[in-house]
Amino acid sequence: MIGKVLGFEARRMVRNFPTMFFGLAFPVMILAIFGGIYGNDPSPQFDGHGTVDVSVPAYSVMVLAVAGLMSFPLGMVELRARGFLKRLRATPARPGAFLGAQVGVNAVVCLAGIGLLMLAGALIYDLRAPAHPLPFLGLLVLSAGAAFGLGLLIAALAPSETTAVVLANVVFFPMIFLTGATLPREIMPTAMERISDALPLSYAVRALQWAWLDTGGDELPLALGVLGATIVVCAAVAARTFRWE
Amino acid sequence: MGQEHEVGVEVSELTVRYGDLVAVNGVDLTVAPGEVVGVIGPNGAGKTSLLECMAGLRTPTAGRIRVGGLDPRADRDQMTRLAGVQLQHTTYPPRVRVGELCDLFAGFYPDPEDPQALLAQFGLSEHVRRPVTKLSGGQQQRLSLVLALLGRPRIVFLDELTTGLDPAARRQVWEGLRARNDAGLTIVITSHHMEEVEYLCDRVAVLVQGRLVACDTVSGLIDAHAGETERLVVEEAGRARQLRRELEELGEGVQVTPAGNRLRVEITVPTQREAVTALLDRHQLTGRRLSASLEDVYLALTGQRASEDGGDDR
Repeated sequence: MIGKVLGFEARRMVRNFPTMFFGLAFPVMILAIFGGIYGNDPSPQFDGHGTVDVSVPAYSVMVLAVAGLMSFPLGMVELRARGFLKRLRATPARPGAFLGAQVGVNAVVCLAGIGLLMLAGALIYDLRAPAHPLPFLGLLVLSAGAAFGLGLLIAALAPSETTAVVLANVVFFPMIFLTGATLPREIMPTAMERISDALPLSYAVRALQWAWLDTGGDELPLALGVLGATIVVCAAVAARTFRWE
Repeated sequence: MGQEHEVGVEVSELTVRYGDLVAVNGVDLTVAPGEVVGVIGPNGAGKTSLLECMAGLRTPTAGRIRVGGLDPRADRDQMTRLAGVQLQHTTYPPRVRVGELCDLFAGFYPDPEDPQALLAQFGLSEHVRRPVTKLSGGQQQRLSLVLALLGRPRIVFLDELTTGLDPAARRQVWEGLRARNDAGLTIVITSHHMEEVEYLCDRVAVLVQGRLVACDTVSGLIDAHAGETERLVVEEAGRARQLRRELEELGEGVQVTPAGNRLRVEITVPTQREAVTALLDRHQLTGRRLSASLEDVYLALTGQRASEDGGDDR
């Protein structure tokens, strides 16, 4: 049964143009644009690291944000707000299977989106190998947990599809533009860096950049703490407020 | 399906409250195995709450429900294999085709019916590849019925099933349900459509403001609540002012309403019937008798209260 549900949600995902575009194509496009402008030669702006080497871990967080903050909560809310989850309660299926399938297909989008980024970086711009590959994977999972946790919170707090879209956008845009996930923190004035410090996904960007480039390792414990706390808080609040119908 | 598989419902002293509002108030209702029972009543009478409780989708404030011996909520797993449900406000998720939704639901059940055959039976074959969200209201209703029937249920709960269906599609749905009932399917259906209830239902429960005010066969209800009333339509009598005045002078039990060139005469006291006939004869007119229908019953039992406090759909 879970296979059927996964297949069902996978088909809906493949037809979900915004997620497909912003999760898979868009990050590669902007990597191509900035890579095309700056190349991947050591840059003084990034402490001697190449633009592409800095961008790939950052844009990975953009992919996580597209899937976790937009696609996942909107996918859940569009099932719930239409009375579909309630209807499912009258079948042998568990609505929880659909929550699991939503996480599953969005996780695949994350893997594919980040995989494409790395592939494009490696093939076109001679992307360097990650300094700490296994920690990179672990931090990716932790960061995804924070993004999906925030997404679940959006799904829990939004009473309707319309409010879910508004709420997701309100969270999503700061999370990609002010965290370093799209525009590098290095170009931000101090005031904006402060705002950046208040956004949990900033720590995902920095932690992943550490794992890839071996820079800023002293910030790692803070990043782990913030990401872990985000997961715990979101899970706790969502568990109390999430409604199946 | 053999007789031994037929499933009935027992509802006793069911009450559903939403805050201060009592949606269902101490309802007792029995649905015999293999029976078709209709639930009628004004908007807000508690039909949907009652149905959702029976289907195990709503927790009653008080009371006891058994469906085929199961507690719909506590025995959820068995219940979902026994019962099919069509709800009033379900719409389906975007980016899904009709056939895919049917395959998904078929996958929930151990021995589902063939989705293609069911879709064909309810006139949806040509829409298998259409996105569900592109279906018309009536097509979505029929899809909901297909999904309710996919798991070979022994009982179905249908909430205003034929809303939005054209007469031909409605007839198709009724015949499909009748055939399944002949094969042993128990049916509980809410409706605003008296013709539907008369066609389909072995018994009809009338709900008014959360209370069950009557429950009987259609003819039993008509005999009990509308049998005494006789309605006549007298054609070409619009200008017969004399007749109208004389009819009105008959007094209690005779009500006269002019309608264009016709006169409607309602006789609620049977002893007045002879006097009315005599008057018509004298004026060389005849009255066409309108037979009492379920609608008369409905209006008699709910009409007054519906006009006072209607419109709140629940």
